[in-house]
Amino acid sequence: MAKVLMKGNEAIGEAAIRAGCVHFFGYPITPQSEVPEYLAKRLPEVGGKFVQAESEVAASNMIYGAAGVGMRVLTTSSSPGISLMAEAMSYIAACELPVVVVNIMRGGPGLGGILPAQGDYLQATKGMGHGDFDLIVLAPSSVQEAVDLTIKAFELAEKYRNPVMVIGDGMIGQMMEPVSFPDVEIGPPLKPGDWALTGCVNRKPRIITSLYLDAMDLHNHNVHLKKKFAVITEHEQRHEAYNCDGEYDVLVTAFGMMARMCKTAIDTLAAEGIQVGLFRPISLKPFPYEACKNAMLKGKRVLDVEMNMGQMIEDVKLAGLGARQIDFFGRAGGVIPSVEEVMNEIRACHAKAKEKNP
Amino acid sequence: MSTHHEHFVSPFEPKQRLLMIVGNYGSGKTEVSVNLALHLRRRGAAVSIADLDVVNPYFRCREAQVLMRQAGVRVVLPPGAQQQADLPIVVPEIKGMLEPEEGCYSLFDVGGDPVGATLLSSLHEALGATPYSLMQVINARRPFTNTVDGCLKMQEGLENASRLKVTGYIVNTHLIAETTAEVILDGFELTQKVSQRSGLPIEMVTAMGALADDPRIMALPAPLFRLERVMLPPWLQQEMKDDSKDAEPVPASRPKPLFAS
Repeated sequence: MAKVLMKGNEAIGEAAIRAGCVHFFGYPITPQSEVPEYLAKRLPEVGGKFVQAESEVAASNMIYGAAGVGMRVLTTSSSPGISLMAEAMSYIAACELPVVVVNIMRGGPGLGGILPAQGDYLQATKGMGHGDFDLIVLAPSSVQEAVDLTIKAFELAEKYRNPVMVIGDGMIGQMMEPVSFPDVEIGPPLKPGDWALTGCVNRKPRIITSLYLDAMDLHNHNVHLKKKFAVITEHEQRHEAYNCDGEYDVLVTAFGMMARMCKTAIDTLAAEGIQVGLFRPISLKPFPYEACKNAMLKGKRVLDVEMNMGQMIEDVKLAGLGARQIDFFGRAGGVIPSVEEVMNEIRACHAKAKEKNP
Repeated sequence: MSTHHEHFVSPFEPKQRLLMIVGNYGSGKTEVSVNLALHLRRRGAAVSIADLDVVNPYFRCREAQVLMRQAGVRVVLPPGAQQQADLPIVVPEIKGMLEPEEGCYSLFDVGGDPVGATLLSSLHEALGATPYSLMQVINARRPFTNTVDGCLKMQEGLENASRLKVTGYIVNTHLIAETTAEVILDGFELTQKVSQRSGLPIEMVTAMGALADDPRIMALPAPLFRLERVMLPPWLQQEMKDDSKDAEPVPASRPKPLFAS
């Protein structure tokens, strides 16, 4: 089909529709408000339902309920709103319901500001709610990738009956790029013999609950969730290695839009004769530790660049297990590191790499 | 480049001194507005531009304010950190821009969609009988304005919200870096049909950089306006230092002509 020019937020909304999701519950918050705005116009056209909830707490419990009756559902928000959804996310993960949540991050903590940031990395990958559970977390780096990963998110959510988060900074939501929508057919959200609450005529009643009063039952449920995520970890790691085929001294690690800015810095430095690799995890969870380690070991030193005070760097350190020195450059609160600043940081890291390994 | 073609191409000539740019968000209002402000300034006019975008949180013409101020364009904006608030702030200087004198232009870069145009309705009474151009920017590659009906529905929404009437169209069909001449020609064709249905003129066709030299685009029966890309994403931006305090002083309230007309 012909390409259209879309904002990231609109494209995410349209991608959900293309993936067969016609039910949306959400609440507006800058910089993701174009998702509900777009879907409020589009969903009635495709026979779907759009509900503006009274809060993010309500919206997240609405997707909990809708997924429970076998609907393919989406909610989207931005950082403070995502925090309000933490309780429901834990319930949804406990009940193994397939939902897709999009977080278009803004500067924090607290009410913060409305400009782009990446400060919710740790929340998304390590602590989206109470108890032992894991989200699958996907981080696009362009509007087209936001489309592709949103569609992929629905696939994964239903394949593993696990909540999936698509996470991007405010730039991904607000910027416009030409996109095309792939022809996809995920099939109906409910397969025969499934688990959803569809009315118990001619079958035994089902219940969706996260309440396990017996300690051993709850322990076993935790073990089951862990085993499930081990399978996800084995099969669903995604990453991009940019300029990593040749030799390089410095490896840059970055995700989302920050990685895109790092690419410009890397391309410019290549013209100066400095070769730099870039490792970009696309699945922040499961984090591609092995691939990251391999990319690190090819170089001498690592520079982690993020739009926060250093969050993904914890996973980068886990990947390297001390094998390489890791420098950090970050800006928070909505300040976007400029390409020039990133280049300077890379040059400094490069000089240290040369010094240590003459 | 373009110089030897300029005899054949009719350049854009504003019909009024008060120019308001509306459209759905993402249609390219800001890119057009900023280019238009710089173009009129280069021709010697005193130009004021007001960023009335209360819809987009980023990528607004305030992001190009340094460039414009350096060129001597007066940029009217909410003060300080309020520029980064997602609040509908309208500064009092806006009303002072409503009746530009001879040789002066006032440009309003209005927020997207009817919701953005609502802001103009607050100027309805102050405007009175002042003549204005209210130009609807059409990008046929945007959702909701990719059909004639979609564009007319958007126009109706914009007019109802602003309590003003659209006076013409700006063909601004593009896919940013992936724009081809065909994309522009298709957009022109669609806008022509919109124009036939509404009876309103096409005020200009825009083309970015070298696309404005394409003979098929130059042959289109509407004024051609060459755009230079101003609104760049951060990974394409050059460092721009804000030394605009040293730039040519701009009129304080009411713009005065810098050159005798």
